[in-house]
Amino acid sequence: MAITASRARGLPAAVVLLTGTVFSLIGLTWDVQWHSDVGPDTFFTLPHLFLYAGSAISGLAALTAVLATTAAHRAGAVPDPSLGGPPIRVFGRAFTAPLGYLVAGCGAASFLLYGLWDQWWHGLYGFDAVIDSPPHIGLLLSISATLVGTVVVFGAADEHRWGRIGALVSLAVLGAFDTVIVFAFKSLNGQVNAMHVAMAALMVLVLACATAFTRYGGVLMALGLAVIQAVTWWFSPWASRVYAEAVGLPMRDYAGQEPQLPALIPMSLVVVALLVHPLLTSRSRWAAPLAGAIAGGLLAGLQRPQSSWVFDGPLPPLQRVLLTALVGAVVGLVAAPAGRRFGRMLRLAGDRTPERN
Amino acid sequence: MRKLAVLLATAGLLVATAPAALAYEPVNVVHTEKVQAGPYAVTVGFSAWPVRAMQSLDFTFAVDGGIAGKSGSIVFLPAADPREAWDEPLARHPRQREVWGLDVRAMDEPGDYAMRFLIDGPAGPGVGELADLHVLDQPGPPLGLSWAVSSLPLVGLVVFLVLAWRRTKGRLIT
Repeated sequence: MAITASRARGLPAAVVLLTGTVFSLIGLTWDVQWHSDVGPDTFFTLPHLFLYAGSAISGLAALTAVLATTAAHRAGAVPDPSLGGPPIRVFGRAFTAPLGYLVAGCGAASFLLYGLWDQWWHGLYGFDAVIDSPPHIGLLLSISATLVGTVVVFGAADEHRWGRIGALVSLAVLGAFDTVIVFAFKSLNGQVNAMHVAMAALMVLVLACATAFTRYGGVLMALGLAVIQAVTWWFSPWASRVYAEAVGLPMRDYAGQEPQLPALIPMSLVVVALLVHPLLTSRSRWAAPLAGAIAGGLLAGLQRPQSSWVFDGPLPPLQRVLLTALVGAVVGLVAAPAGRRFGRMLRLAGDRTPERN
Repeated sequence: MRKLAVLLATAGLLVATAPAALAYEPVNVVHTEKVQAGPYAVTVGFSAWPVRAMQSLDFTFAVDGGIAGKSGSIVFLPAADPREAWDEPLARHPRQREVWGLDVRAMDEPGDYAMRFLIDGPAGPGVGELADLHVLDQPGPPLGLSWAVSSLPLVGLVVFLVLAWRRTKGRLIT
């Protein structure tokens, strides 16, 4: 069925915004792989350019949408919340910004500021030895804000099929991208693997949000994430190898070429999503926390066997895996109701009924 | 017209300076130490000295007679807790392929470390240690402050979600 002009209103800007976030995801997975397999780094490597371009494209899309909404509002038009979310008056009511574009744009602006801080950090600490340096986490969180804004922009158009599909795709991109943020929890690892618990919390949040947003949303989002995992599994080692050949750099000795970032995405997510779907869609008060506990426990507990399998490493003592699964279940218990609430909030993003303040 | 000229000049400067920015910096060793690992004499090079926690540097490990036909591994032993030791194979430095090395590496924690070399080659196996590698405290602001600054986008996201949560209360479709 062709998309008519009125149905497609808002689609171009939303697609450009999403394209920017996909650029960011490509740049991230490629850059992490590059450091692992090749090594030498400059400000202008191709993976870095993808990361900069991603935020630039998203930022310009957000700015354009805000300026267009402001101009229309000043000309007397009533802002339509389905075009990016409820209108927010900012800078002393000088601008009218659709909520999704406002959040996405703030993320892109914040990316610029953290980029400057990252440059200062390089001067003090040298080139980055690790992905989880404080400025990097600031940069990655800024992109995450842009991703959240993208989810809101598509969620606001949930009356259209493209809005529902776009929101689920954006949630999958958010889930794939934010796997890198769990690295920030590495220093907390002990008897319990904090990174695996954080990963479980993130996945339960997006799963519950997608399920509450639209019919079979959680399962469809998990399938989208699996597609992203499969594509980047092939892409990141391939792109690193081809780029290294193109610029005349050798691969590292002992570079295993296992996909680094894609290997972090839980492979069990689709099965877990199917398993907890009946609970997440149940009206019972305890169903969502129970679904979260089951999903959180399974996801946190299966992370270590997954990485041992991918990287051909030893399994830790069973006691540690079970303890991590238990903490994952507790965190999931809280994350699922929160995620479900976010999904319901998302359904209201394009609502035309006035808000109760 | 003037704006266009400025834009073109900026773009031209960017293109003209790009090759310099693209160049991968050579390894610049500023300090060396000698280690005897059995029959093998190893020169350990550091691209920054003294070594400070979290500050990245390049390590080079040059063996007299070259690395061809030789292999081995390096073990880092923290004096504070030897159970936290870690090892890795001796691999060629990506930007100086004629020697082994570690590129853009940082020691996470300050303190004393030993670097133990286990080398195998035509003259048989050999073990040697660089004892007392002293890693100074990290430079710059306290790490807690850096993390606080980095967490601001997360704080912003949480505030946004809390506001949205409160404003949608009572309107939710369940």
